[in-house]
Amino acid sequence: MHRHLKTLCAVAIAGLAATTGYAAEYKPTRPIEVVVHTGPGGGADVLARFIAQVVEKDKLAPVRMQVVNKPGGGGLTAMSYVVEKKGEANTIAVFTGNWLTNPLMQQEAKYTVKDMTPIVRLVLEPAVIAVKADAPYKTLREFIEAAKKSPGKLKQSGGSVTSRDNVVRMLLMKTSAANWSFISFPGGGERIAALLGGHVDMMVIEPQEAGEHIRSGNMRVIAQVAERRLHGYPNVPTLKEAGYEIPNIPQVRGVVAPPGMPPEAVAYYEDLFGRVVRTAAWKKYLEDQQFEDGFQKSGELSKFFDEYANRMRTILQEGGVKTVR
Amino acid sequence: MDVLAGLLQGFAVALTPSNLLWCFVGCFLGTIVGVMPGLGPASTIAMLLPLTFQMDPTSAMIMLAGIYYGAKYGGSTTSILLNVPGESASVVTCLDGYQMAKRGRAGAALGIAAIASFVAGTVGVIALMLIAPPLAKMALSFSSPEYFALMVLGLAMVVLLAGASLVKALLAMLLGLWLASIGTDLFTAGSRFTFGHSELLDGIDFVIVAIGVFALGEVLGSMETREDAQVLPVPKGLRNLLPTLAELKACRFAFLNGSVVGFFIGILPGAGSTIASFIAYGIEKAVSKHPEKFGTGIPEGVAAPEGANNSETGGALVPMLTLGIPGSSTTAILLAALVLWGLKPGPLMIQESPTLFWGLVASMYVGNIILLILNIPLIPLFAQILKLPVYVLYPAIFGISVVGVYSVAGSLFDVTLLVVFGLLGYLMRRLDYPAAPLILGLVLGDSMERALRQSLMMSQGELSILVSRPISAIMLGLAALILVLPLLRRVNAWRVKALAENG
Repeated sequence: MHRHLKTLCAVAIAGLAATTGYAAEYKPTRPIEVVVHTGPGGGADVLARFIAQVVEKDKLAPVRMQVVNKPGGGGLTAMSYVVEKKGEANTIAVFTGNWLTNPLMQQEAKYTVKDMTPIVRLVLEPAVIAVKADAPYKTLREFIEAAKKSPGKLKQSGGSVTSRDNVVRMLLMKTSAANWSFISFPGGGERIAALLGGHVDMMVIEPQEAGEHIRSGNMRVIAQVAERRLHGYPNVPTLKEAGYEIPNIPQVRGVVAPPGMPPEAVAYYEDLFGRVVRTAAWKKYLEDQQFEDGFQKSGELSKFFDEYANRMRTILQEGGVKTVR
Repeated sequence: MDVLAGLLQGFAVALTPSNLLWCFVGCFLGTIVGVMPGLGPASTIAMLLPLTFQMDPTSAMIMLAGIYYGAKYGGSTTSILLNVPGESASVVTCLDGYQMAKRGRAGAALGIAAIASFVAGTVGVIALMLIAPPLAKMALSFSSPEYFALMVLGLAMVVLLAGASLVKALLAMLLGLWLASIGTDLFTAGSRFTFGHSELLDGIDFVIVAIGVFALGEVLGSMETREDAQVLPVPKGLRNLLPTLAELKACRFAFLNGSVVGFFIGILPGAGSTIASFIAYGIEKAVSKHPEKFGTGIPEGVAAPEGANNSETGGALVPMLTLGIPGSSTTAILLAALVLWGLKPGPLMIQESPTLFWGLVASMYVGNIILLILNIPLIPLFAQILKLPVYVLYPAIFGISVVGVYSVAGSLFDVTLLVVFGLLGYLMRRLDYPAAPLILGLVLGDSMERALRQSLMMSQGELSILVSRPISAIMLGLAALILVLPLLRRVNAWRVKALAENG
């Protein structure tokens, strides 16, 4: 009888837990709004639309996902929009490295990602270091030695000074005491054209993008900015293997939500994205793009935000970029 | 012979009923997108992209490319009829196109724009087909110093765009250059002239300034006269709505000029169709026998820029298809589409996916014909818009302008800016400042500053890099010539006058 009572109690408690769990469970009832900071066709927009497609195809949510473009202000417009949706459970946003880095330099930024609710981190995008196929440098060491011999003469093409391209350069220059210049081009096409035309000597490029230029014999990859060797580049050393021990600065993408999102909604979205990253379509996407799976849940992501901001601040300040926070 | 075989194969692909249908759909959507100010081909293609995943990549590419070049056709419509540039590349078309409409030649201007678009679009495809690979290599030899020289050449066009006073034109241009510097500096990540507004961090979209200064400025200026009747004369009869033989004959050189200039500028990643249209207009005026008539509504002034912005499409596809390098936001999305469909855009694509390349080329011939057939019958229809009385038409222009600007980024701040630039346009009109140099400065300023700083970083601060490279030296020389020639002409006039007075 004693045993029966115990079971009864257990059943009762379990039942209670289940009911409370049920009562607090969140389920969206109207389309989920996914905010991105680029116009249609931008990197974050493409990712958001891809996720929406996966969710719809595999019926992972009872409602559709609606991508909302809030371009402008280098991401600040979208960030303000998310913060203004305080407490809202129906809105989420795709963040990228820009959301973490740009407010460090922008006086105009009213909010940072720390004001928002972290949901999940999704992908880490590795990169490769490429030179023109007929360049004399067969390895990263040869390039760096050449840069040491004539400081400032060699050139790298890339995006803005705060982009990952330049961060990799600054870190490499710091550990090797070499020095080469960084020339900013706004468009990816112009960066590649500058390299292939022989106007610059090196660039940091996305692995998938470099693939075709290598296959046609115009480009050579001398190192990869990744934790492990990418499947597309089995014979190219990572920075660590090449002998340059620098912190890994990945291009990162994930999901955040407005400040004060109810915890049960946070749990719902964590679970939803947990299911998205287990689909075959998602795995194929990572494989095709040669992205690394960077899945992290809310708690870890919050820590990641702090680490990332602190690390970037130090790197940028050492590189002479003015930061405001 | 390879070309012929390839082209035949291409037509076999492009002329299948389903591809013909997709080509039509693309051209039709493109025309609509072009007519609507604010809505551009890049965002339309991006929004339609998910729908194409189910499609055969060749058909999808044919349709998306149709949107791209179809939008160039439509862009001139509102420029000519309402002085509202439908697209950045159609700003120059406003100069003579709207003046033609004011003189009752709206139909003719639209017809010339369509024909110029057709001729140049076709020339662009032919060039893309015949000389793409070698040209793509040549485009790579262009780098920052050459771009800087190209932009200087573009800015030198200001003397050709100036009305009565060169000083006023230069002031307007400087204002444009200043507006171009607003936003985040790419090289230092610092913000410039944002006055604490995060909305200004990405700079001011050129569409807002163009619509404000041209369309709203014009409406505000015309409202002073308080005309009750219709704004512009619209002649009766279909024949009077189409260009005359004399008008077409006057455009012979403009068609050619626009086609060639547009294509070559199109090849360069980082130049763009707006610059192409300005330079084609400038060249047209420089070689014209009656340069003083430009800006008063002459057909060449419509044909040259419209031609240039259409053959630019063929040019822009060269680096994208042969090198896998996108030159503009639209080609960047087309490139992303190819990747998403599992194709490998790059130097090997023409050999590995000949069906796609030749199918696309052939479909562009077909598409240009479709667009011509689609656009010519619309001309009489569009021209009727001008019959509306001012109390209907002006609010309509206001409405279209506001919606157009709002649809760029969905931002009310942009609408506020539109009002500011509308007032600026009105003031400039009252004080006789030309608007085109302002737009020219705004369009070129950003790329010019960037190219100069990139060049100087490449040379470690040596200015000689700008003149030690042959292509850039030649272009800078041309720019100097354009600036100096009118002065010489004036000196000569003084000399003749002085001689006459003495003798």
